[in-house]
Amino acid sequence: MSLFTIISLMSEGMYRTVGIFVLTLLFSLPLGLIVCFGRMSKNFIIRTITKIYISILRGTPLMLQLMVVYFGPYYLFKMSIGEWRYPAIIVAFAINYAAYFAEIYRSGIEAIPKGQYEAAGLLGYNKIQTFVKIILPQVVKIILPSVTNEVITLVKDTSLAYTLSYLEMFALAKQIAAAQTTMVPFVVAGVFYYIFNLLVSVTMEQFEKKINYFK
Amino acid sequence: MMKKFLASLLVAVMTAAIFTGCNKEKKEEFVVGFDAEYPPYGYMDEKGEYTGFDLELAEEVCKLNGWTLKKQPIVWENKDNELNSGSIDCIWNGFTINGREKDYTWSVPYVDNSQVIVVKADAGIATYADLAGKIVGVQAASAALDVLSDEKAQKALADTFKELNQFADYNTAFLELEAGSLDAVAMDIGVAQYQINSRGGDKFVILEEHLNAEQYGIGFKKGNTELCEKVEKALTTLKENGKFDELAKKYGLEDMVCFGK
Amino acid sequence: MVYLKMENVSKKFDDLEVLKDISFQVNEGEVVSIIGPSGSGKSTLLRCATLLEMMDCGSLSYLGEDAAIIIDGKAVYAKKKELNKIKENFGLVFQNFNLFPHFTVLKNITDAPLNVQKRPKAEVMKEAEELLEKMGLSDKRDYYPHQLSGGQQQRVAIARALAMNPKVLFFDEPTSALDPELTGEVLKVIKSLAETKMTMVIVTHEMEFARNISDRIIFMDKGYIELEGSAEEVFEAKHERMQEFLGKLTKNV
Repeated sequence: MSLFTIISLMSEGMYRTVGIFVLTLLFSLPLGLIVCFGRMSKNFIIRTITKIYISILRGTPLMLQLMVVYFGPYYLFKMSIGEWRYPAIIVAFAINYAAYFAEIYRSGIEAIPKGQYEAAGLLGYNKIQTFVKIILPQVVKIILPSVTNEVITLVKDTSLAYTLSYLEMFALAKQIAAAQTTMVPFVVAGVFYYIFNLLVSVTMEQFEKKINYFK
Repeated sequence: MMKKFLASLLVAVMTAAIFTGCNKEKKEEFVVGFDAEYPPYGYMDEKGEYTGFDLELAEEVCKLNGWTLKKQPIVWENKDNELNSGSIDCIWNGFTINGREKDYTWSVPYVDNSQVIVVKADAGIATYADLAGKIVGVQAASAALDVLSDEKAQKALADTFKELNQFADYNTAFLELEAGSLDAVAMDIGVAQYQINSRGGDKFVILEEHLNAEQYGIGFKKGNTELCEKVEKALTTLKENGKFDELAKKYGLEDMVCFGK
Repeated sequence: MVYLKMENVSKKFDDLEVLKDISFQVNEGEVVSIIGPSGSGKSTLLRCATLLEMMDCGSLSYLGEDAAIIIDGKAVYAKKKELNKIKENFGLVFQNFNLFPHFTVLKNITDAPLNVQKRPKAEVMKEAEELLEKMGLSDKRDYYPHQLSGGQQQRVAIARALAMNPKVLFFDEPTSALDPELTGEVLKVIKSLAETKMTMVIVTHEMEFARNISDRIIFMDKGYIELEGSAEEVFEAKHERMQEFLGKLTKNV
């Protein structure tokens, strides 16, 4: 099997890998913010629930979470899960990454001096204006390096979707390798992940540069 | 810049959604779960299509019953979860009956299989006695592992090994065998033949002694006899019209098939 | 007219009584300086006046409008909506500026008038230009705070507060975070404001400055107002704690 054939066979898997990546970010970034607000809530019950949520999702393997999300509905409620495979993957990834993002957001929000809130309050900004206009842009700048780290990890974590027999690129690489008894697909996979992450880092670097106008 | 980025993001998301969207058809779907890293029974061919003896057989069965075949590759360790939860209708993939008789509703056996041990041709291992103190690999959750851990079967032999290592797929197992981190690998004879042939044919050998004799069947969820019978009936037709033996020959399994014997 | 009135104010942090039954008022056009050793409660008093801290007991009103009244010995605050309206009466210049780092100088000054007060853009821009001119910062309008010296940042902060057209302007130790050579430029600006009859309440350690510009000086110690009067009355008073406080300051210099 030629290298070209291997790559073209794997291209669909690459497409799926990118799909998991994009959808996970799309859902986990905003969800993380909601979780973060819960974590910082003054309400004891909400705060405790989100604390437990974060603790469990950060404290157990993503692979296990994938299995729980996918097979859970059947074992718990005897629900049919035929079409649930792909949504389950996205849900598991999103809630897992949301937990990490929530803590990153929190660290950023807590790093903003109290004086910024006081100044905004005295100038009459309401709570939402204060957060969106004054606090959030500063938080984004602070957390960007940590977010980049997490995003790079996500690129590599997408391969865990194979646990639910979803044919993302790495699962495909394994299958082609098995059928053709060759290691070439793994080399291709490695190069793909590297280029993918290179793109991610370059993009984030550009973004960091762009936001570097203030300190 | 930002707009472009958002636009391409949107396109990516939408295509991903279409891509994953299920196209519902009126025909009944028959979902076969298989390990796609298990040639010659189920694997990916040069065109990227799943094929193999079991899958082609399943295709013929579906044709006879008017079903649409859905080939669902699964992670072998999760096969029971997939079957019990209804994600797949059966496990059809060089699936050993022996030792699992009570766990599934089985079709009649269709392949006579043996668990064998593969070693490097130049390793100087010829009999089971030579395996004493060696490191032996076996696929996780496989029939070979069952045989080697069963008191009534080959547990005594396994106890002479230095270690019994479990691996996830055959490719890495053979790589380890070649590299010397494994001295021997236990597996199905059909798989062993395929692996040895596709790796040049002379680097590895199968030990003459067989660990056991066992049979392959199609595993259905416990109690699903209705579906099982439909499949069996179709298989009988295929045996009678010669299609079954034709496929066995295509995959070099003609000496092993036992359906209808 | 009485612009600010506080009566019977007390405030505790945990068990520490920081303000003990304090009453004072500020009239239109008056410049009042609050002095005293650190820990005397002067900053807390200012933070209570600007609603950054809640009083335990006490009343607070601006231009006759009650922000808090005393009921059963406790401070009871007005509804949020009313408080927001009352807030428009005053501005505060912080010790460490608290400029918004991601806004340019101009945006720091104009954003709240435009988006909170919703005043017409042309008017806000014109006023902002005038303020920058007054602060000697016209050439810095497009700079970000981190590109400015501390003194320049504090002048922007003053302009930001003034842009809201407050009736009373508070200063919380406006020069304490500055290098000594930069305090002059800020004090000069405050002085020029005093000359325009801007009503101001200034918490400061700059004794000479306080003496020069204040219509009235309040000396606080251990949560009480110990002395209150004209600069001369307070600085020349035969008051032990006051003289001790002044003595310490001169010794430090």
